[in-house]
Amino acid sequence: MSLWVDKHRPRSLDQLHYHHQLTTRLKALAASGDFPHMLFYGPSGAGKKTRIAGTLLELFGKGVDRLKIDQRVFLTPTRRKLDVNIVQSNYHIEITPSEVGNYDRVVIQEILKEIAQTQQVDLSAKQKFKLVVIHEADSLTRDAQAALRRTMEKYMSNMRLILCANSTSKLIAPIRSRCLLIRVAAPDTNEMQTVLEHVAHNEGFAIPDDTAKLIAEDANGNMRKALLVLEALKMQSTDLSSSSLSIAKPDWEIYCHKVADMIIQEQSPARVMEVRAKLYELLSHCIPPSIIIKTIADKVVDQVDEALKADIMHWAAIYEARMRVGNKKIFHLEAWVVKVMSLYKHFFFGFDMEAGFDDF
Amino acid sequence: MSSHRTARAPRKSGGAANLSERATQSKGSEKMTMEPPTKKAKTKPLTMSLARPPMFDLSGIQPFPQQPKTSQSKLGGLGQNKRSQKDVKGKGKEKVQSGDSDTRLWVDRYEPESEEDLAVHKRKVQDVRHWLLEALGPNDPSGKLRKYRRILVLTGPAGTAKTAAMQILSREIGFDILEWRNTMAEQFSRSEGEWNGIEYEGSADKFRTFLGRASTCRPIFASQSSTSHTQSTQGSRISSSSASSTGAGSSRQRIILLEDLPNVLYPPTQSSFHAALEDFVDTPDRGAAPLVIIISDAGLRGEDAEDGGARWKSRSKEAMDVRNVLPPNLLRSPYVTQINSLYSNESWGSFNPIAATYMRSALKTMLDRHFASFSAMGTRPTKDVLDLIVESSNGDIRSAINALQFACTADQSSHNPPKGSKKGKGPSATVMLEAVTRREQSLALFHLLGKIMYNKRKGDQPAQSVSAKDIRRDKEIDAGLKDPPPLPPHLKDHERKASRVDVETLYVDTPIDASLLSLYIHQNYTQYCTTLEDCDALMDSLSWVDSSGGENWYQANPHQFHVVALGTLHALPTPVPRRSQKSFKPAFFEMLKQQHEAEDGVRDVQLWLQRLGSLPVSSWGARDVSLGISSLWRAGVYSEPIPPTHRNFSQLEFALVADGFAEIAQEGETAPDLPPPQREDRPLAEETITGSYLSDDDIEEW
Repeated sequence: MSLWVDKHRPRSLDQLHYHHQLTTRLKALAASGDFPHMLFYGPSGAGKKTRIAGTLLELFGKGVDRLKIDQRVFLTPTRRKLDVNIVQSNYHIEITPSEVGNYDRVVIQEILKEIAQTQQVDLSAKQKFKLVVIHEADSLTRDAQAALRRTMEKYMSNMRLILCANSTSKLIAPIRSRCLLIRVAAPDTNEMQTVLEHVAHNEGFAIPDDTAKLIAEDANGNMRKALLVLEALKMQSTDLSSSSLSIAKPDWEIYCHKVADMIIQEQSPARVMEVRAKLYELLSHCIPPSIIIKTIADKVVDQVDEALKADIMHWAAIYEARMRVGNKKIFHLEAWVVKVMSLYKHFFFGFDMEAGFDDF
Repeated sequence: MSSHRTARAPRKSGGAANLSERATQSKGSEKMTMEPPTKKAKTKPLTMSLARPPMFDLSGIQPFPQQPKTSQSKLGGLGQNKRSQKDVKGKGKEKVQSGDSDTRLWVDRYEPESEEDLAVHKRKVQDVRHWLLEALGPNDPSGKLRKYRRILVLTGPAGTAKTAAMQILSREIGFDILEWRNTMAEQFSRSEGEWNGIEYEGSADKFRTFLGRASTCRPIFASQSSTSHTQSTQGSRISSSSASSTGAGSSRQRIILLEDLPNVLYPPTQSSFHAALEDFVDTPDRGAAPLVIIISDAGLRGEDAEDGGARWKSRSKEAMDVRNVLPPNLLRSPYVTQINSLYSNESWGSFNPIAATYMRSALKTMLDRHFASFSAMGTRPTKDVLDLIVESSNGDIRSAINALQFACTADQSSHNPPKGSKKGKGPSATVMLEAVTRREQSLALFHLLGKIMYNKRKGDQPAQSVSAKDIRRDKEIDAGLKDPPPLPPHLKDHERKASRVDVETLYVDTPIDASLLSLYIHQNYTQYCTTLEDCDALMDSLSWVDSSGGENWYQANPHQFHVVALGTLHALPTPVPRRSQKSFKPAFFEMLKQQHEAEDGVRDVQLWLQRLGSLPVSSWGARDVSLGISSLWRAGVYSEPIPPTHRNFSQLEFALVADGFAEIAQEGETAPDLPPPQREDRPLAEETITGSYLSDDDIEEW
């Protein structure tokens, strides 16, 4: 038994509930026989992968459902072995290059070359080309992106790429220009409510309108989250009327909020150490650092004086930007924490805040 | 100092002129003294192994200093002839330096002859002797311990008398040393292109064979009277020095010495080397010779702590240390004994850099001996010079002796007095030594951090515990420091007194790279800051440095070390209040390890979801899993169990407990004018060896 998210996921483009315009375009593209490289981008939980899957089905027919998961071993130039999981069908192959860190270039090149050099053997196949789906394309290194750019042109005859990313800002311009950019926006509350009701209907229960609204608002455009929450709620209590309902926040969010409280409660070097231990904890649980800083900042800003809010967010933005370039995420997280503490303390004691802030 | 230098300058140039004049006059002998290394090679019976067609190319070495002459004459050979010719030539033209016919380096000439001569802590030698006695039998009649005394590992920086200790003990206890040497010979036989009947043997295989045979077979030249294991010695061309040493004829016991290690940094060689060692240990042969491995720590450069893709590179492997040389399971087995530090708490057990007091007395004794012999020439260096040499040698006695010999030789050639008029050589020698013998000092990590974190600046009040000498030294430093120019009013916040810390020298001496340094600073800075503003400025500079430069290594900021150090110094208060701060190892690596484990867990869950959902496109990204795991948890009953690795990341409980961190141990103190170190805090040392970054109970709950 699988999760509702997966169980009730639309399998074809026809079953999609929102972004109908996009759907028709995708269908037209798949039918035209002249299929470009594509780049799907949009926030997580918006339905990028569902649309990619739908497009694949449209292109190749039922065969894409027959998947096999391979473990492949790649050899780096330094003769180190990399194990990579690869999901593939007869018509397409999926890779998540970010799994191999800095060696993504090796993996990308190997796989693409291999795909590109073999013709489609299945004569009954609808398309002559094979498709390569690259997940988390925005975490590709520069090297890998540069390698991709060359391959995209060279092997166009028997291979197409579909890239999937959260934002296009981390992709180099040559790649963006070689792809058809498709933005999958997050669904709005109404659209999400429709989906929730549809899932509830398929599962054989009715969901009150206000409950659906509550869940949709809480999920903030993340369909996956909304469906998970719905399923969790249904597991806990059969009664879904909104009066008795409380949506549990994920652990990491609660954790981040507590860290925010720690920052507000006390500002001292010793407290910095305590906060650091918590940040390490979050990082070691694979919570992306940009999400950490965002969640904590949101919570801190809720609790401080109006005059401080702008400054706190300003510094959060600066350190988040540094974090993207830098290697040691903890430095930037902690630098921001210390900055907030220092700002807060100054404000609290009514010191002159201007001094020392215009020189960074 | 500086005034001295200028005053001496004309005199020095005069000396130089003198030198060149003399050089034209007597080429031969001048050259003789200047090229001692070739002579050094000749004194050792190295030629033996070279003369022989090398199958193993091994040679037992036992250069006994008492009998260099005899061993040389026994060896005979080409080199010897050449040398005597040269000697004759030199003597013909040279009148002044008639006496000194022994042109070996002092290092070889005044090799320690007994344990008393060794400038090593007695306990350490004692440990080695104890082990050897147990391994060779006399101390262990029942033979119970002997089984476990198979491999002894001696580690320590270069020039800390590791090999010398072995040689002395070999003489004292009476055993032969069988040494392995890497060889190039086989490659030549192969390069001819045709197979010439000699089977090619890789160096790793050769090592294996050597170890197997050396441990069990008797040398062909040794007497056959030994009882225990006289197996077939044919074909095993193991040579032992017993043929030329005094002990020939008696059935002496042997140990195998491994100093010239195969290239264990190359993984295939390493694995076969490890296999050979394991074989060696597994051989339940009671008569077999024990193995002694000597490893010189070739400097400890820090591991790169880069996060991006760090799971695929473990830089820690790139240093020659015990962990590379010995396979991990052997390292923990009872068969391997590591001579642990007795008075150091360096993170792995080792011979320590020779303490200054020991070294000074050893050098003095040596000088006494040198100048006692009538043939000695040159002048005895002054105490200042000696101090300087001791100080700059950093506990490397070999380099100290070389420097000392050089100091004497140079003095003698520039002034050319028949017997030393001692006056006035100090400063010029000092200048010369400064220029010549400055070696790369390796500053202990602990001291490096101390220098930076205590942020001493000009005019700081000395702490109460500081000795008068240190205060004087600080004053000297202060006198040389220029005050920085005053800053304009809007930058008044950034005005600091001149720093006593010279970042440039720190950079030269640092044992770790900028990245690791920044991690250490990050781990420890809060103790040294008084206000949040200090913390703020410090963290900001660390964060800035980390994000400076580009994504690729070649875009990296080349000044990272300087910026990190200067930024830290700028941010810290001065003087830093002493609160008995302790340095800790960065918790960063532990976090990184956990993160990688968690990533593996995430991947497992991802695959599991993929199977569960059976969708054409895997719908869960790693991020979706790690962020959504708690709702996933609450959401459903699953037909397949969740992979157990989810625990690596799925539980995130908030507990307000301060985490403990492992402390960095302080390096063995080598500062001058301290009594011989007597610290025997072995438990502490061991704790820091075994302790990882975090103690185990802190992470148990995860």
